[in-house]
Amino acid sequence: MLKFQRWLEVYGAGYVDGLAWTAVVALVSAAVAVGWGGALLGVRLVGGRPGARAVDAYVQLFRNVPVLVPIYIIYFGFPLVGLAWPAVVCGGLALVLQNGAYISEIFRGAHKAIDRVQFDSAKSIGLSAWHTFRKVTLPQVIVYSLPALGNQVVLLLKDTSLLSAIAVGELTMRAKLLTEQTGAAYEAFVVVAALYLALVAVFEVGFGLAGRALRWP
Amino acid sequence: MTSWAMLESTVTLLARGALVSLWLALASLATGTGLAVLLMAPAFSRFGLARRAYRLFVWIVRGTPVLVQALLVFYALPALDLRSGPYVAGVIVLTLYLGALIAEVIRGGVLAIPRQQWDSARSLGLPPGALLRRVVAPLVIRYSLPAYVNVCVMAVKASSVLSIISVWELTFAAREIIERTLAVFSVLGLAAAFYFAMCFGIDRLGRHVERRLTPGDFAGERT
Repeated sequence: MLKFQRWLEVYGAGYVDGLAWTAVVALVSAAVAVGWGGALLGVRLVGGRPGARAVDAYVQLFRNVPVLVPIYIIYFGFPLVGLAWPAVVCGGLALVLQNGAYISEIFRGAHKAIDRVQFDSAKSIGLSAWHTFRKVTLPQVIVYSLPALGNQVVLLLKDTSLLSAIAVGELTMRAKLLTEQTGAAYEAFVVVAALYLALVAVFEVGFGLAGRALRWP
Repeated sequence: MTSWAMLESTVTLLARGALVSLWLALASLATGTGLAVLLMAPAFSRFGLARRAYRLFVWIVRGTPVLVQALLVFYALPALDLRSGPYVAGVIVLTLYLGALIAEVIRGGVLAIPRQQWDSARSLGLPPGALLRRVVAPLVIRYSLPAYVNVCVMAVKASSVLSIISVWELTFAAREIIERTLAVFSVLGLAAAFYFAMCFGIDRLGRHVERRLTPGDFAGERT
């Protein structure tokens, strides 16, 4: 126990740092991915048949390729075409591209769940397309998709661990470094696993609260 | 790519990596499905403690990244004096991960069985073995097949994570070639194509089996 205390004093700061990186990368990527997923839904809705086809192809592509591949393509490939972005931006972009695909499918399901009659009603009271989207479509899409969205964000959170493969200093990377420094291998990863569980629990509670707050009266 | 010879050797190497990925996924799916079936004992146990242990196991496996699990097993196995190498560690990790996912899929399938099925089976006086074999199993397979196919696709994708614990498979092979040739886009593009072919193929195959297994008058709810 004393040994553990000493260990915590020495290495605790690294973990806090890594935890902060993981949380920030996950939150920012999730927010951008939700925007991207919404944009893809927009293309599907207003783009007609070619728009829907293009979005379908995009979604199929990202659904059937492991996220590690786009991470490597962006991280190793973009500098070759003159885009030398920091590793965290490359990794975050890959996470956004893949999760955006999943989220657009979630939004699509939620959009389908809205009763068609509501769009007719909106038209009959003279709402413009934009107003219909803002006041009728969007609020319901958000509420219907919230549970699935929460799941997806947790998956994204876990996938941020893959950014350790491109040297982003997040939680898993810290544990790897600690393992190399101390040789205490599985202690480091047990602590990291516990921290991920805690983060996942926080995210789940957050989405649960949001879901309750937004539920229809 | 500078020459045809290089392209050819790249494709051969990636194809071999893809075969290893597929093999890892299939082996882990087999063991993971076995684990999931065994996990149904605590999942539907009479004892609250067993059910809680099951929930805890699923929560931990689903709440932590596969990579962390992989690193943990990879480093912990030698510490337990098991000199097994990355492949064994990889299959163990994927077995636990897929086992937890599939267990939830099967559990959902069991819970989806309509109450009347249980009641009528009981009223017929079916013994437990026959109940499982003739009523529960066929229904669970039909109910959970779509989700199970999803897990199969996830198995292929999750196997890519094992490249980080030095398992030589498709992603590892691609990185190896990139380090020598710097042909990032073509090599990773090819790797992506191999992954796509495997995952899309599994998905289509799964849907085909689903259709074959579902009789036209099957009254169950589709998800």
